[in-house]
Amino acid sequence: MDEKYSQLWQKLSAALKPQVSPDTFKRWFSAVKLVSATDETFTFRVPNNIYQFWIESNHMAALQAAIVAAFGSPRDVKFVTASDSASKAEPEELPEISPKEFVRESARDGKQSGPALGLNPRNNFESFVVGPNNEIAHAASLAVAKTPARTYNPLFIYGGVGLGKTHLMQAIGQYVGINKKGAKVMYLSSEVFINEFIDAIQHNNLVKFRKRYRQADLLLIDDIQFLGGKERSQEEFFHTFNTLFDGHKQIVLSSDRPPSEIANLEHRLVSRFEWGLTAELQPPDVETRMAILRKKAHTLQIKLRDEIFDFLATRIRTNVRRLEGALMRVASFASLSGKELTNEVVEHLLKDILQEEARHSVTIEQIQRRVAEHFDVRLADMTSKRRPANIAFPRQIAMYLARELTKASLNEIGDAFGGRDHGTVLHACKLVKRRMQEQDNIRQTISFIDSALQR
Amino acid sequence: MKFSATKEKLLEGLQQVQNVVSTRTTLPILSNVLLQAKGNEVHLTTTDLDVGVRGAFEASVEKEGATTLPARRLFTIIRELPSSEVSVEVDGKNAASIRSGQSFFKILGLPEEEFPPLPKFENAKNVTIPQKTLRDGLRKTSYAISTDETRYVLNGLLFSFKDNKLTLVATDGRRLAMVDIELEFPRSHEADIIVPTKAVTELGRLLTDDGEVKVSVGSGQIAFELNNTLLVSKLIEGNYPNYKQVIPTETKERVTLERETFLNSLRRVSLLASDKSNSIKLNFTKNNIDITANTPEVGEAKESLPVAYKGRDFSIAFNPEFFMAPLRALTEDEVFLDLIDEMSPGVLKISTPFLYVLMPMRISS
Repeated sequence: MDEKYSQLWQKLSAALKPQVSPDTFKRWFSAVKLVSATDETFTFRVPNNIYQFWIESNHMAALQAAIVAAFGSPRDVKFVTASDSASKAEPEELPEISPKEFVRESARDGKQSGPALGLNPRNNFESFVVGPNNEIAHAASLAVAKTPARTYNPLFIYGGVGLGKTHLMQAIGQYVGINKKGAKVMYLSSEVFINEFIDAIQHNNLVKFRKRYRQADLLLIDDIQFLGGKERSQEEFFHTFNTLFDGHKQIVLSSDRPPSEIANLEHRLVSRFEWGLTAELQPPDVETRMAILRKKAHTLQIKLRDEIFDFLATRIRTNVRRLEGALMRVASFASLSGKELTNEVVEHLLKDILQEEARHSVTIEQIQRRVAEHFDVRLADMTSKRRPANIAFPRQIAMYLARELTKASLNEIGDAFGGRDHGTVLHACKLVKRRMQEQDNIRQTISFIDSALQR
Repeated sequence: MKFSATKEKLLEGLQQVQNVVSTRTTLPILSNVLLQAKGNEVHLTTTDLDVGVRGAFEASVEKEGATTLPARRLFTIIRELPSSEVSVEVDGKNAASIRSGQSFFKILGLPEEEFPPLPKFENAKNVTIPQKTLRDGLRKTSYAISTDETRYVLNGLLFSFKDNKLTLVATDGRRLAMVDIELEFPRSHEADIIVPTKAVTELGRLLTDDGEVKVSVGSGQIAFELNNTLLVSKLIEGNYPNYKQVIPTETKERVTLERETFLNSLRRVSLLASDKSNSIKLNFTKNNIDITANTPEVGEAKESLPVAYKGRDFSIAFNPEFFMAPLRALTEDEVFLDLIDEMSPGVLKISTPFLYVLMPMRISS
């Protein structure tokens, strides 16, 4: 492998030489080594951080130009500082800090190290598989992690279960924790926030509660949708939000739906959430699912045939967590039984999961989205209080479909449609049924949406 | 606590310490100044937990004691007082009554005990430097300190004590400023420490042309004692990069420039350097430099300067702001600019140990 990289580096050096002066090349690039190269990223090892600082500040354009000249397309360039064992013999006056030491150091002196914060060290940016479904969210998260409170504030990430919201948030937290010493990172779910708030009211120490949250340099709150309907918590959070925002501290929030669709959330909060960047995570496409499986298999050191990966990636579509679970199940079966894995065996093994996938349960949110799309009304209108006929009727159709296609109760459906009464939902269902009998075109429309949802 | 003092003395004392008080603070006590009346002096202390300053002013103390008062508010009140005699009296609940002429103010403070004490220095290594020398050194280097928070080791000034020399270094990755100060100290005092920007700025404010400053380096912290004032600061943890790597070893051409004339020319020409490329070009020909700048769709500027130059003809481009910063900070009449070629860094020198390395910008020809 080393040989391959040194060949690549030679090719790159040849392209780089005409770009910079001989003195610059000798001074800065002669000690540089290429240690890893993919289609996206080149990682260079440099003897110490002055090389990184100086090359990044002054010679990046030349280096990128050389990469394009040598390999045809640009790459991300990363630098690592040589660790003691592998460092090239470069006379060194100051001992350098290797990245590893950095981590250990910040873990020791700060309470903000990964595990102590409830951050899973496996949830970092390196282990996140980027595909077209999540690249915006990933890029935004990376930008936020690199320059907190400068780019997108607040960052609002939303998407369905098991698509990587928590992964991204924890990755931001860890990146900042490692790279910004002394930065106070807080990661919690909105439920913890609410519970602590209630506790603070009970024991009359709101001041302490406020102090705790308002001192954070980076506040990450997961599943913010649970704040819906909790009025005093919302008010408290509103003030926390403002304090942090005004103090130029980064805020990152995640939810299972966009801010405007969180039921019973105050408008001033909705508008604040939409202030920075809202990024959606969508279910991964088949290529991304393959990439996820391979990455996971690689880290867990599972070896499976390509067909099995293929089978899993095509059959399990909706949820990354489930995908990983299926992989684990297949792998553990293989290692325990020692049997050859075929598609049939895997199919049998994952019977329950596959059935579930096939049924492809429809959520109220999907119904709302599809109906809104079909009638060309805004998704927010599904939950709004406005009721001109051109909005009210699609909404009633959506309620009817929710009643037919989900197991949700009348009350739950009412809540999902902007806190409506169960009677309203019942009325909508009856009305839609009657009009379906009366008018052919309505029946056709509804069956069209229905089949689109079932697919 | 009760004391009276002249408005000028009180104001002067507050001015020395109030810059440390940060406007945006999470601990209310940190926006306060600690006042301690004792003997015929009142001591003032402020801190933001990273940097702390302690000063004093003369006063006639009637009743000794201590309290803390909001620093900014106190300062604005004292500044506006009508008479030059001010008396301050603090009751048991830390409420201060300020009387001057016809005015009366009452401001509420916080108890002394809540104020975080300045760190203690034990087993510190002490060095004494003439204030003028250090002030000069700071002025020549501090403008090059990086503000990029991701490179936090560069967010301060390197104080390198070595071989009976104190070397001050600042760099932001595009330029580097360095000053050597001759100094006597035992070998055991040799160390490399990084003093954060805020402390450097405050120190620059406090230093005067006379007297000496006593520098004490403890573990993770540093103190400067001067003119009855004490400045303490945490140090930036980590190792400063090996800056010597940046300094070109041999240069080819040298031009001697009249600092002020050159600075004025640069300033004029840079008016037409675009925000985007933000570069000015120096064209060297025999005994002449043409300084040019142009912005597409705006216009261009050119100025010629006669200089003693006998090298080959060539052009090099620099960021004008980065070039002007050291020229502003220096006081010498003549500066030397050493160059290699259009892609290698330029080096600015003077007759005393000072060095400024500046990366050229790429010329798109």
